[in-house]
Amino acid sequence: MIDVTGLRVVLPPSTVALDGVDLSVRPGEFVVILGPSGAGKTTFLRTLNRLVEPTAGSVRINGRAVTGAAPPELRAVRREVGMIFQQFNLVRRLSVLDNVLTGRLGYVASVASVAGRFPEQDRVLARQCLEQVGLSHLADRRADTLSGGEQQRVAIARALAQSPAVILADEPTASLDPALTDSIMGALRRINVDRGLTLVVSQHQLATALEYATRIVGFRAGRIVFDGRPTELTPRAVERIYADHAP
Amino acid sequence: MRRAVAFVVLMALAWAAWDTGADPVRLIRGLPWLLEFVRRMMPPDLRVLPAAVAGAVTTVEIALLGTAVAAVLALPLGFVSARNVAAPPIFHAARAALNFLRSVDTLVYALVFVAAVGLGPFPGVLAVIAYTTTSLAKLYSEAIEGIERGPVDAITATGATRLQVLRFGVLPQVLPLFLSYVLYRLETNIRAATVLGFVGAGGIGFYLQTYLRLIDYPAASTVLLVTVAMVIAVDFVSSRLRQRLV
Repeated sequence: MIDVTGLRVVLPPSTVALDGVDLSVRPGEFVVILGPSGAGKTTFLRTLNRLVEPTAGSVRINGRAVTGAAPPELRAVRREVGMIFQQFNLVRRLSVLDNVLTGRLGYVASVASVAGRFPEQDRVLARQCLEQVGLSHLADRRADTLSGGEQQRVAIARALAQSPAVILADEPTASLDPALTDSIMGALRRINVDRGLTLVVSQHQLATALEYATRIVGFRAGRIVFDGRPTELTPRAVERIYADHAP
Repeated sequence: MRRAVAFVVLMALAWAAWDTGADPVRLIRGLPWLLEFVRRMMPPDLRVLPAAVAGAVTTVEIALLGTAVAAVLALPLGFVSARNVAAPPIFHAARAALNFLRSVDTLVYALVFVAAVGLGPFPGVLAVIAYTTTSLAKLYSEAIEGIERGPVDAITATGATRLQVLRFGVLPQVLPLFLSYVLYRLETNIRAATVLGFVGAGGIGFYLQTYLRLIDYPAASTVLLVTVAMVIAVDFVSSRLRQRLV
């Protein structure tokens, strides 16, 4: 589903964020990326849909080349890849429903959408996605009037509205009250189990990673230093990921 | 170093005062004439009130129409001169053009447009459009440069086109600011438009200049009072609207 080879990212002026990453994710996996801050987790996720331009290496998602793709092909890949951010990144002044509808932008005619018009079936789909995250009753509220946990669930609904094959989530619970971790991670697991979507989620909490992942990939200093099932993550392996950082 | 800078600034100011003939004694000697001027304006000649009001309405029309057209024309210019949206060569060219055009004031534009299309309010409207478009474009571009990156990333990640990213990721963030800038410009344009009549570009300034030339001070004072009332009224409405935006 996701094939990454030799991925290298040098951020200006000369920070090596990813230093030769190879990874192959199979359909339906729930991959948790683990690692200390600065290990390259965020850069890795953002390179998968080319929000960050890689310096070298290649990324293929669902059989399509991401790296080297011309703008129309890149947009076609991106619409199949939902993304969830640590800071939710909703458009504050738009309503909850309009935020979910932006998940359909890759499918609608550019001109009509700029006028703010979406096809009726897209509106129906957006409402269904909101229902799945349990927020139908907030559809008409302005996005920035919601709590953090609610905003992240709207962001999940936006990603679902893309009818994606893959969802990337960058530390989706890090900005939230720890009590909300299970509500967000649980919603992601349901998507994984019920819809069979492939998930790649970065996490800095070891316990959460162990509870939800079907596969754990450990990053350290821009390289993969562990790749295996949660049961294989021995104290020694944890040591290798975090070295002198406390997990 | 600091002393040297202070010395240079003081010398420059002293030279400017000498060169412009700035002289407090001359001002004090002139004060009685100032009072005499005000005395001759009293009482205002209310027979010219209809003409003054008609002039004020024209001035408001010039400012309203000019600002509204400029608010729209400045939109594409604002986007191409925002560093975080436009490609570098476009951005630099647009910024340079804006800075060049912005250095010309509304009144100077009015002189040019009166020469081009003749006397009346229309060259006034064109002058307001010319200046306001460039100044709003600058304000718009700064608002665009101050947006949050996150929503833009999120919309980009959905597979949206550049145009859709601007519409859904950028525009909702900047629209309230844009409207606030437009209202602010409307307020300053009302003031700018009052003097447009001096150069034949229509509005209440034409009456003020005419009565001053005819040495009809009571009539001129009526025109002045109407001008003040007009500016205060527009400021009041506009600042109320702006408060509701933020």
